[in-house]
Amino acid sequence: EQRMKPVEGRGCLLKEVHLNVTDLGLGYRTKEELIFRYCSGPCSDAETNYDKILNNLTHSKKLVKDTPSRTCCRPITFDDDLSFLDDNNEDYHILRKHSARKCGCV
Amino acid sequence: CEGSVGLYFPQNQYKETVYVGQSAGTPVLQVHAMVESDSQRPHFYLCYLRPPTYAPWFHLDETTGILSMNKTLEWSDFDSAYKFWKLPLSVIAATRPLKKFLCGLSHPTVQVSLTFINDTAPPCGQTRPELKKLCFPDKDLSSHIKENRFPGALRQLRQLTRLNVCPNYTISYSVESDVPAPFAVNDNTTELVVTAPLDREERETYSPMLICTVQTDTMIDKFFVTLHINIYDEDDNAPYVSGTDTEDVVLEFDRKQGSSFGNLVVYDRDTTPRYPKSQSQNRFVGNMMTNDSWINEMFTIEYSFKEEKAIFGNVRGTVHEFRLALKKDLSVTEYRTLQLDYLVNDTTYPHPEGTVMLHYNITILPVPIHFTNVTYLFTLTRRANVYSQVGRICVDNSLKFQGINVTYRLAVAEKTENVSDDVQSCNAAISIAQSLKDMVGVLYVNDTEALRRPECQDLQYVVIAQEQQNLLQASTQILIVLDNDINKQGLEDQRFLSCAKGRQRGDCENIRGLGATTGRCQWRQGSAKGISESYSTCSPDLRTCPDGFCDAVESKDASICPQDCTIEPVIGGHEKGIMSGIRAGHGTCYCYSEKCFCEKDDVEEAMCDEVCKTIIATAV
Repeated sequence: EQRMKPVEGRGCLLKEVHLNVTDLGLGYRTKEELIFRYCSGPCSDAETNYDKILNNLTHSKKLVKDTPSRTCCRPITFDDDLSFLDDNNEDYHILRKHSARKCGCV
Repeated sequence: CEGSVGLYFPQNQYKETVYVGQSAGTPVLQVHAMVESDSQRPHFYLCYLRPPTYAPWFHLDETTGILSMNKTLEWSDFDSAYKFWKLPLSVIAATRPLKKFLCGLSHPTVQVSLTFINDTAPPCGQTRPELKKLCFPDKDLSSHIKENRFPGALRQLRQLTRLNVCPNYTISYSVESDVPAPFAVNDNTTELVVTAPLDREERETYSPMLICTVQTDTMIDKFFVTLHINIYDEDDNAPYVSGTDTEDVVLEFDRKQGSSFGNLVVYDRDTTPRYPKSQSQNRFVGNMMTNDSWINEMFTIEYSFKEEKAIFGNVRGTVHEFRLALKKDLSVTEYRTLQLDYLVNDTTYPHPEGTVMLHYNITILPVPIHFTNVTYLFTLTRRANVYSQVGRICVDNSLKFQGINVTYRLAVAEKTENVSDDVQSCNAAISIAQSLKDMVGVLYVNDTEALRRPECQDLQYVVIAQEQQNLLQASTQILIVLDNDINKQGLEDQRFLSCAKGRQRGDCENIRGLGATTGRCQWRQGSAKGISESYSTCSPDLRTCPDGFCDAVESKDASICPQDCTIEPVIGGHEKGIMSGIRAGHGTCYCYSEKCFCEKDDVEEAMCDEVCKTIIATAV
């Protein structure tokens, strides 16, 4: 169980982009902006025998109709909450777990 | 301290600047105190708890109130640790000569703040700003006068520290006002004088124009400044009612502790300060004029007051409001009429007629607990799933009830001994739940197995309503008519899913969802853009879910209507409900168990899948 902690793949990096809250596509109407951080990059160097076996089995078509998930570059902790005021100046909204703080291959 | 009654300082504080080289004997400023009667003369003293080092530099004339220098200020007097030096002094006024003058609450006190500048006084100037400084202080041109008081000198207009700066100039003052105002200048003393008592209820503020004329052999110049004089209030008006002093109050369905009825209004042209709280001016004291212990136990008068201006001729006055309020829940059987008199007393009004008597004519009607004399009839399809809502039952007027608690329970209609156990067990099909927001019982499907058995025909129950305080009961018959559509396949599968997990109309309408009245879930198609209360969703019964309220039946199982009942964080664009659930959502809202998601249909591919596909593609 101790070995379950995420491996930091060299290619899996935290990147950021400056966006309007409306770009997030969540339906909120506001003029607020944010820095959105996300995880991106290959995780091939974090792969284990398990992943190699899955790869082989997929290619040799031994796993019929099943494609198990592979190691993936994902947030392992999230940024602080983001609050913003709606365009109607009445409602506050709080986004939680919306942006990555740290990435890992999981 | 009785010797100082009526004396007050018309200014909150006095300010002046003193300079190096200001010589002994020259005046600095003059304080004034207003008196109560012509025979009163104020006596002024500098007061200290512990005299500061600079105290001996100043002398205050006991009768004129003129503060002057006791010594010539030297460079060495200035404490060079500061850019300038504030010299605070306190002055008290008394109506009799005092021997010991300690500062305290027993005498009116005013602060005198002197600013000692590390420089010599500016010389006589000729420019207009310099001349204006000879006439008026920079700021601090407001005073106050208590209404109904004896007239007298209000403030010294001359800048005493500048008296000898320009010896060739003649400076004189006059006062003008656009409304009739009793202000004048005493030319001998250059004091502003109020010439008559003032009435706050007539006018609250005066803004007379002060004119200063500076004259030399060669020129004459005039300067204008506006004074602000506030008139302070005292309790000199008796309370009165406008129109009625009687209110008819009928207590019927609202019998709740804390509810209030009727509103009797008492007017008073005086103001009522809210702060400080300890101040009693114009605060009213009221008394219920009854010895009846039941009335005293049951009723109280809620008192509040507010300030109004328009109804008192654009001068502030007070509106005092008195509402009858219940101290405890009133029993439904209570039936009586009574009159409650309430004496309102303006305690600070100095004359005898400072009271008003108010009357409440109270009629308490009993509230019968009964059902209108019909048998309730509901129809239900046998396909209905567990927690389907069948109908609502309530005693008469129960939607108006406040402070009346009614509970509902089901009993079997006819207890016939020769009925088989099988038929008896049909009664398990329906249960009743107590509505959470009103005094209503909600019938719902409890046992679908019983509902679907062919031998279970139409269901008959008695609903017993019980009022909680007096345990009054009422009952009515209900008949639930079942259709004949017995779905054999439906009978086999007793597992029910949650409608809320349906993400599309097609999926949704195939789910045999918990609480589905027709056996199948219902789809609501939202049309609004953005985050809307009418989001798309899948529901067991669109009449009750989602309606933004987690009702008595829905709260029995979190899977019935998580859209109304979830207390977990919702993922995606949404607005939370007040207590629980989703008030508004973006696109479609669906839930797995209690965890709900709101999203636009076109966003379906998760980020990871894209990335993983790329990795696989590159690996290949």
